[in-house]
Formats: sequence, structure tokens, C-alpha cells
Amino acid sequence: MNRVPERSLECEALNDDLIEFALGTLSGRSRSNVLLHLETCSHCNVELDSLAAAADTLLWLAPEAEPSLGFETRLIERYQSTDPRRRVTRLRRASLLAVAAMMAVVLGVGLGAVFTNHGGSNNPVAATRPVTGRLMSDGQTLGEVTISSGNPSWMIMNIDTGDVTGLVWCQVTLENGRNVTVGKFTLSHGYGSWVAPLTSSANDVRSARIVNAHGTVLAQATFAT
Amino acid sequence: MRGGYDDETPDEALLSGIAVGDDRAVLAFVRRYQRRLFGLALGIVGDPGMAEDVAQEAFIRILRHAAVYDIRRGSVATWTLTITRNLAIDAVRVRRAVPTAPEDRVFLSLVSNERAPDDTAVMSESVRQAHSALASLPIDQRRAVVLAVMYGRTVSEVASMEAIPLGTAKSRVRLGLAKLREAAARMEAS
Repeated sequence: MNRVPERSLECEALNDDLIEFALGTLSGRSRSNVLLHLETCSHCNVELDSLAAAADTLLWLAPEAEPSLGFETRLIERYQSTDPRRRVTRLRRASLLAVAAMMAVVLGVGLGAVFTNHGGSNNPVAATRPVTGRLMSDGQTLGEVTISSGNPSWMIMNIDTGDVTGLVWCQVTLENGRNVTVGKFTLSHGYGSWVAPLTSSANDVRSARIVNAHGTVLAQATFAT
Repeated sequence: MRGGYDDETPDEALLSGIAVGDDRAVLAFVRRYQRRLFGLALGIVGDPGMAEDVAQEAFIRILRHAAVYDIRRGSVATWTLTITRNLAIDAVRVRRAVPTAPEDRVFLSLVSNERAPDDTAVMSESVRQAHSALASLPIDQRRAVVLAVMYGRTVSEVASMEAIPLGTAKSRVRLGLAKLREAAARMEAS
């Protein structure tokens, strides 16, 4: 059973300020004092999380409202114009995603469970952060694979091989050396993208690769340990 | 294995897609949250134009930070709402807009003696629980908590707006938040 961290006299003295801190309305010297205290007080850290969570429940009370026409378009354009990761293949990718989506639905139901059942961890633990690797081939970057944190975590892959069309397989190598086929999907004119749920920790995956029907590795990503 | 994003796609999966630059994930996320974020911003700032600016900025921040979202910090929904709330309060302060009393704003139903809206049957579980939790507070504590949480008013400002001593305002906020926490815990357990 977890022990509740003890409350000190200093905690008592800062109680009101801690509440305002949780509400985001504390400033100046009082805020500095609370921050200093939080560095060493586990009791108040627990209390702060609890107060903030209670306050956050109220945010759901705001009624939904429809923004003006064009809100969505303006937002997407603004985001895309300032996102440094944007690539010129964006439009091409979007159009081909529908094909990948359809194939994934046909082929993919339950394939995520392959990874779940044979993964390297018997006790799934959420990764501390998402892991991302570049899918490389002959020194060139062909895409990116990300495994999100959380339980389940999600594997998201985008690849653009340039010319390959047809069925390919995604395999991963786990920390214990085991190779697991996560699933298969279709490349259309070189491009493919899909999302797969994983219940194993992202930390267990050491590498991911895309192979064709002949077992040839088209691209591989390695994750830092 | 899923090839696209739909209404059933978890928020965490959308953020992961956003993190790798997937346009469809961005679009699905914006469509899922735009009415809620805009509604919250509008409720705080009171002006539709300003609320759209706030909601846009909130989305941009969320999309740019999708890769570093940490599930241990709470749900994606709460994370997005908190970012929007903070930006809305900052916008009010920076632009020196003067938020009026809650009675004059969209949060009227939150601080009145009226019961929760009649459409609770069609509300999401989170919204319904929030209404129930707030309704469990005495009216004076309800007003103080709403002023502090939804409008970012300091305890001193709450005292001034409510024409009560500072100590009373502190007490109302403290007790209100504590009861809100208890109510939330009870609903979580049931």
C-alpha cells in the first residue's frame, strides 16, 4: 500500500498559494516560493496534481460552439505554412492514403494482435516517450516510423520508396532479439502509410523494416536504446 | 491494423499521426475538437473574433507539440482544453479586455441555482460528470470556483468582484475546489 506523503508546517503555510498555483493565477514572489517548495515536497506535488485535475473537470462545462466558416481551412493553411516538416509530397501522399487505408482494413484486422501476442514484453509498460526512426535505404531516407507512448502504443509509418508497387511486410526486432511480423500493407507507386496499435512498450522495439514478397529489405529504421 | 483515421481513432493515435506529419491526422483532430475549443474560448473571452484567434493559436500549439504529449499528464482532451483556457485568459489580460460578471456570459448556467441543462441525456460522460460535480457545491463556492477556473480570476479579484473579504474568497475557492475534487473522485469510483 502506498503511503501518503507527510504534510509539513511549510505545506500548511503554503496551502492557499498552492491552490492559486493549481488554478494558474499565482504570480510573483508567491509563485516562486511555491515552485521552490514543490522541488522537494512530494506531498504538495500530489496535492497539486489533484487540485489541478479537479479544476480541469470544469473545462468540460463550456458549451460547444461552431466557429465561423473557413476556420478549419485557415487553421490548416497556417499550420502547414509554418510546419518545418512539410514535404512537397504532401498532396501525393494524401491521395494515396485512401488506397492504403482500404487495403489495411481488408488485410489488417487483428494483425496488431500479432505483435501483442508475441511481443517481447509480458508486462506491457508505457514508453516514457514516443520513439521515432527514419526508414533508410542505401543512405537515403525513405520515410519515418513512430511508436507512440501510452498503452496501447501506436505504430505510425509513412514510406515513399519511389517506384515499388505491391504488398510489403513490416517486421520489427525486439529487445530480446525476436523478430516479429507486425503486418502487411500495400505500396502504391512507392507510397504507403498506416497505423497499427501495439500493446507492448515502444521501448522494446529496436528496429523496424519493410520487406517485399522475396524477403528483400526495402528500408529499415533503427531506434536508439 | 488501421489505415485511416475515423471517429473511433483514439486521441493518442491522432497525436502520433500528427507527430509524423500525417495530414489526415491533423484534419481529423481539428474536426474532432474545433467546436469544443472554440466554445471554451468564446465562453472566456466573450468575443467570437477573439475566440477564433485563441482557438487557432491553441490548435497550432497542440499540433506542434503533439510529439511531446505525455499521457501521464492527463487525457488529450483535458490537455487541449487546458491549453485553450490558458491562452484565452492570457488574451483577455493582454488585450485588456474586461471580462464581465459570469451572469452576463455563456457560463451563466454554471453559477445559477438552476439545475444542469435538460439535455444531459445527450451529453458526453465527461460533461455530465462536470455538471454534477459543480452542482454539488453551494452557490457561493460555485461562483468563486467558476470565476477562478473558467475566468482565471485571482482570489483577490474574486473578492473584489463578489464584494467579500479576501479571507472569505480564499475560503470559498479552497472549499469549492476541495468539494469538486471529492465529487470527481466519487464519480470516478462509482
